[in-house]
Amino acid sequence: MTVIEIEGLRKSYKSGRVLDSVSLKVEHGEIFGIAGPNGAGKTTVVECASGLRRRDGGTLRVLGLDPQSDRRELAQRIGVQLQEAALPDAIKVGEALRMYASFYDAPADWRELMDEWGLADKKRAGFASLSGGWKQRLFVALALVGNPEVVFLDELTTGLDPSARRMTWGLIRNMRERGVTVVLVTHFMDEAEALCDRIAIIDRGRVIAEGSPRELITKGRSDSLEDAYFALTGRETA
Amino acid sequence: MKGITNVTAVELKLIMRDPMSAFFALAFPAIMLWVKMRSGKPLPGGLPAVDATVPMLSVFVIGLAALVILPATLAGYRERRVLKRLRATPASPTMLFSAQWAAHMLLAALGTMLLIVIGLAAYGLTAPANAGNVLLAWILSALSLSSIGLLVGALVPSGRAATVIGLSLFFPMGFLSGAIIPRETMSGSMRAIGDLTPMAPAVQAIRDGWAGDAMSPITLGVMVAISIVAGGVALRAFRW
Repeated sequence: MTVIEIEGLRKSYKSGRVLDSVSLKVEHGEIFGIAGPNGAGKTTVVECASGLRRRDGGTLRVLGLDPQSDRRELAQRIGVQLQEAALPDAIKVGEALRMYASFYDAPADWRELMDEWGLADKKRAGFASLSGGWKQRLFVALALVGNPEVVFLDELTTGLDPSARRMTWGLIRNMRERGVTVVLVTHFMDEAEALCDRIAIIDRGRVIAEGSPRELITKGRSDSLEDAYFALTGRETA
Repeated sequence: MKGITNVTAVELKLIMRDPMSAFFALAFPAIMLWVKMRSGKPLPGGLPAVDATVPMLSVFVIGLAALVILPATLAGYRERRVLKRLRATPASPTMLFSAQWAAHMLLAALGTMLLIVIGLAAYGLTAPANAGNVLLAWILSALSLSSIGLLVGALVPSGRAATVIGLSLFFPMGFLSGAIIPRETMSGSMRAIGDLTPMAPAVQAIRDGWAGDAMSPITLGVMVAISIVAGGVALRAFRW
């Protein structure tokens, strides 16, 4: 079953065209990676698909809904972790989870979610006092609090130390086991190789390669996904 | 309904946890009352100072919450992308704004009650002659001033800028409109300028209600008009 269908997606900002013509399909229950150099348009794809930005052209369906015209309905069924998004400094972990749960018609039990993600000890901790790893855990928990069918994670592990990163990988696999479809934007090819069922590499506003990590490695005639990435994008330094 | 009470409660707690906001809205007006009552001679016309000062300072509290703290909260949330994260949820913008408004007005209500309690306990404040009118005037003052605050919060990019703009609206208005200095002791020209500020009808209406004078329909109408126009523009201009 196709969960996300993007065809010829175009988007320009004042600074110029970001997405030229992006087409991709995400199937139910997979971890789908979106990789590519800085400024390639990865975040824009996620923001268009989650209803945060209006597209200039192309078609876009998530769970059969148009993120623009059916934004509210779609928001009930997806979860989002945004790059650089934040919570108020003084909000406590428990308060944030409880408040976000109140936005959804059929939320998950936020207390269970808090225990499951190891946040119970931090329940009364203020957002500003959390380290990067704990903040990310909270963001993931907030993305899941609405019991979503699809979760978008935008550079979830950027800025995390290696052990926090590995821990986060386990949590993402966990989501897939529950049947949640995960769209993961990442810079890290080791991460994409370890986690993703399929990956799309975006460069200069287009999908330049798509497939399983194995397929991409073969296509790039390389030994690792990282080498394949450089072979396919044609750049050593982004 | 469950959503809005929850968000309002959380937002009010967040404001109270910020030492600056709590100080400005609660302690500062109480200190102003104390300072003013140390030299509290009856006003020209014989009204005891406290009976003018408490209603005046209640507009001062509303102004701080509505023109300074509310826009700073909204602009700060935009700057830090708190709003963007909220936008990715099904929460309705109307609900989120109403909750923000309610939280800031509850803060102003707490500040007002504190002034009244101190006035009654320490300075022999006379109870309002027409409590219903005072309440109506208070709510319209809160609506009209916070719609202006909402407009600032809708347009200004950062929390710091919003605080600067909020304060530069608040203090001149406060001084000229009679929220800080009683209108009775102001010169005619100052009063004339002050009457042009949106805070003047608020001071007028709350003081009229307190003294038991009839409230002018024009004063109330001006506040309703400001609420609708500034509030409407703010909602249209709002950027996440």
